[in-house]
Amino acid sequence: MSTLRSSTLHPGSRAMRLLCLLVALTAGLSLLYAVQYYLGSPLRLAVTSEIHDLALSPTHHLVAAAAQDGMVRLWDMDADWKMYTLTGHTGPVTSVAFDASGPTLFSAGSDGKVYLWDIPTILPAGPSNAQPVKALEASTSPLRDLSLTPDGSLLATLGDDHIIRVWDVETGEVIQTIGPNEHTRHAVALSPDGTLVAADDANHIQMWDAHSGEPRQRLEGQWENEEEQENWLGHEKEVTALAFSPDGAYLASGSAEGTTLIWDVEQGQLAWETKGHLGAVSEVAFDASGEYLISSGGDNMVRRWKVTGGKFAGLFKGHLGSVSGVAAGPDENTILSSGVDGSVRLWEVVNNQELHLEWTKLGLMPIWGKVFVIWMLGSGLLGLLLAWGLWRVRTWSYLGSLAMYTIGPLFAVVLPMLETIAYPITWSTRLHIAWPLACLFVWYYFLVLYLRNDAIAIPYQAPDAESLAQRLMAAQQTRNIRQGLFVLATWFLIFILLFSVLRRFGLDIAFMRKWLPFIMGGAGLTMFVSAMAILLATVLALVGALGRLAKNPVINGISGFYVSLIRGTPLLVQIFIWFLALPQIGITLKPVTAGILALGVNYGAYMTEIFRAGIQAIGIGQYEAAHALGMSSSQTFRRIVLPQAFRIVIPPIGNEFIAMMKDSALVSMITVQELTFRAQKLGRQNFRNLETFLIAAAFYWILTIVFQFFQSKLEAYMARGERR
Amino acid sequence: MSEPIIKVRGLHKYFGPLHVIKGVDLDVMPQEVVVIIGPSGAGKSTFLRCLNFLEEPSAGTVEIDGVEIKARESGREHRRLIQEIRQKAGMVFQQFNLFPHMTVLGNIIEAPITVKKMPRDQAIAKAEELLEWVGLLHKRDEYPSRLSGGQQQRVAIARALAMDPKIMLFDEPTSALDPELIGEVVEVMERLANEGMTMVVVTHEIHFARDVADRVIFMDEGVWAEMAPPEQIFTNPKEERTRQFLAHIL
Ligand SMILES: Nc1ncnc2c1ncn2[C@@H]1O[C@H](COP(=O)(O)OP(=O)(O)OP(=O)(O)O)[C@@H](O)[C@H]1O
Ligand SMILES: [Mg+2]
Repeated sequence: MSTLRSSTLHPGSRAMRLLCLLVALTAGLSLLYAVQYYLGSPLRLAVTSEIHDLALSPTHHLVAAAAQDGMVRLWDMDADWKMYTLTGHTGPVTSVAFDASGPTLFSAGSDGKVYLWDIPTILPAGPSNAQPVKALEASTSPLRDLSLTPDGSLLATLGDDHIIRVWDVETGEVIQTIGPNEHTRHAVALSPDGTLVAADDANHIQMWDAHSGEPRQRLEGQWENEEEQENWLGHEKEVTALAFSPDGAYLASGSAEGTTLIWDVEQGQLAWETKGHLGAVSEVAFDASGEYLISSGGDNMVRRWKVTGGKFAGLFKGHLGSVSGVAAGPDENTILSSGVDGSVRLWEVVNNQELHLEWTKLGLMPIWGKVFVIWMLGSGLLGLLLAWGLWRVRTWSYLGSLAMYTIGPLFAVVLPMLETIAYPITWSTRLHIAWPLACLFVWYYFLVLYLRNDAIAIPYQAPDAESLAQRLMAAQQTRNIRQGLFVLATWFLIFILLFSVLRRFGLDIAFMRKWLPFIMGGAGLTMFVSAMAILLATVLALVGALGRLAKNPVINGISGFYVSLIRGTPLLVQIFIWFLALPQIGITLKPVTAGILALGVNYGAYMTEIFRAGIQAIGIGQYEAAHALGMSSSQTFRRIVLPQAFRIVIPPIGNEFIAMMKDSALVSMITVQELTFRAQKLGRQNFRNLETFLIAAAFYWILTIVFQFFQSKLEAYMARGERR
Repeated sequence: MSEPIIKVRGLHKYFGPLHVIKGVDLDVMPQEVVVIIGPSGAGKSTFLRCLNFLEEPSAGTVEIDGVEIKARESGREHRRLIQEIRQKAGMVFQQFNLFPHMTVLGNIIEAPITVKKMPRDQAIAKAEELLEWVGLLHKRDEYPSRLSGGQQQRVAIARALAMDPKIMLFDEPTSALDPELIGEVVEVMERLANEGMTMVVVTHEIHFARDVADRVIFMDEGVWAEMAPPEQIFTNPKEERTRQFLAHIL
């Protein structure tokens, strides 16, 4: 106590000095991690390497994958998926392809180079000593895509410079340059006979003669009904993937809106259309026979289609992130896929089962590596500032540290740790991946525990306190803030736990993201129905309340009957009566009208009682004062009684409104296309009820919270005459 | 000699079987101040409220400034006459009864605007004048709940005066006030009397009765037990009941 004043300059106790040291140490190490991470040093959280493309060798036993970490992965399926890593690219590898002879593996990278790898020399050499035999380079601009004729004589590349180059592989010369066209960004494909090269041009596809560079067919699509401009047959958004069928008769294209189209190359016309992917299509491929088309999408799914007719023929679900590449498998009953989750998967097409799974690296999804390093950087910088504040004994730094080390780790450490539960890996692998996170979590936990300590907390609560009263008040305030902080953290933790559990059971985030706008499209109607109904209810309630208070027996009887009837029957039954039963006596209402009437009349009855109570709460003195001033009964009611009654009923009316907003979900039963209706429809169609109703529930919840906030503000405003 | 401005004849009031006012007559001259005193339950408030028909008398007639109403009538004409009388008679209550949802100014301009259809700016000008007169112009935009009891009662007086009444009725205007706040209200009432307002006042403020009243009525069990000038009733009451009552309160 005696060192109270001097403690404003530096921490008084040993515990406080230790705290400064701990925070500074934590911050410093975090910063160190971030710095070495960005400098490219090897110390980092285990994350997988995204795969951008995948290819199967003509001999059908090698799988090649283009990975983000700049290494081409090669698996030998015959040798129990033994993995080879081919190093050479100095940036992410974007595309791979095999030629039939040789065989040679071609890989294109963000460094602008195409490397040629000679497989027969690599396999005997062992897993990691491969060297490219040849490099092709025309510009340093990153390469997006590459396409090879089956015989390996012609190669086409597309770069971020929007230029298509056709190469003679033998000589290593560019024989044709097409472009640049800024709308050519994603995909290039050579026809199997090497005569045509196709590339995306916004939502169209342009084809050229591969040798002369002369433009050929342009695949644009058309209106099914030319006159009305109805039903566009073609891509709406940009084309993202292209592939020729093995015989060169068809060209398949995938687009950002998720459709895949099959074009007749000869006629330059759309042959079949397939729709299914919820995200952009990342790659399309024909199987060896040319009978089936496989597509991969940003919705984490692989889909298979019958080429003739474009009929759906299978869905392959398992990737934890977008699927980036697909290829026909080693036999006609299998397909291969690769994803940004860093996995290559082999699927069985008959019962859509996963046969095999390989990882580029064992680790978290790459996004978590980024989140983690950002947290390390942020908490490191902030931590240093806080440590300085702690040394100067500042309250903000105490609360700041508490907040940062309570909330932050939940998202940067606990969430990824729980994420690993959703990965199809063994517990020992999980431990292997997540142990640094677990250690860190324990460390943060003890730091927070230490921060909660009274010996620490009390000196920081009111460092400049002159009196006991000040100190007690500050202590109370800090305790409240701390309490709120832990409550908030608990909420976050519950969210995170729920989220992880739901993901473990296959919560389809891509689906939610895709359909969120559609479901939310019903929110407007929900709000409209609620608002109109509450308006109607308020008017009815006012009239009803006057009726209930009236001396006239007929009026009193009518309003009593109304209240009794409506309160005595279920809302759902009333809704059905308005919409389904009234037509029988000749009154047919639109669903929305029926819904508004049903809700409004129902809540009007409940609110009648609220209004009545509000009016009765106004004392006789108010009436007498108004009458004594010569005001008539109606003037007294309008000017004196009603405004005061309104103020009394605002809190219960607010509650009614919130309740009504939620009850408005019931009108989905009579085909009003509001939020719940859309959620239900969509969920049933796609077997995604969990996803759609989660969105709906979240909407109602958030809206309720927002309304409660405004309600409290309104109450405070209305109560301005009340304060004593 | 001018006409009485208030003329009450044979006024009776029953609450169910309870006979509260038992046939009283009263004439009040313009500018006269009449104070009514009496024990609790004597019917003072009831009498006062019968004058502006907040209570409907059971029998008798009330005439104020030439408007005469008989008891136990009904209909449109009867209601119109009541409205007319109420505009001629301002009333101040024991519990102030200000409108809590309106500001001080709002309270005062309300009736002139809604009842008399007075233009708003004119009503405000008049209200400000009255507030000045009761010394509360600075509280113009305050809500009643933020005022002391004495201030509220002064606003209530200003509110009643805003209707330009011919007479003012006060029902124990100081009884709900803390002792130290009584003075400010009494002072306003005195000024009002001095400016020539006809007033009927139910009060236990003997000082006010002695100094300001022209006549004091001692009411007991629904009748005038004694009616006399203040100096006489306070110094030399004729009735034994009056004597006892005064002994009690003085
Ligand atoms: N609305 C009413 N209904 C029934 N009885 C009433 C009503 N108002 C007053 N009374 C009764 O009438 C009698 C006279 O009441 P009143 O209020 O006029 O007395 P008062 O002289 O003003 O007394 P106080 O000094 O207590 O105000 C009382 O017995 C009272 O109980
Ligand atoms: Mg009384």
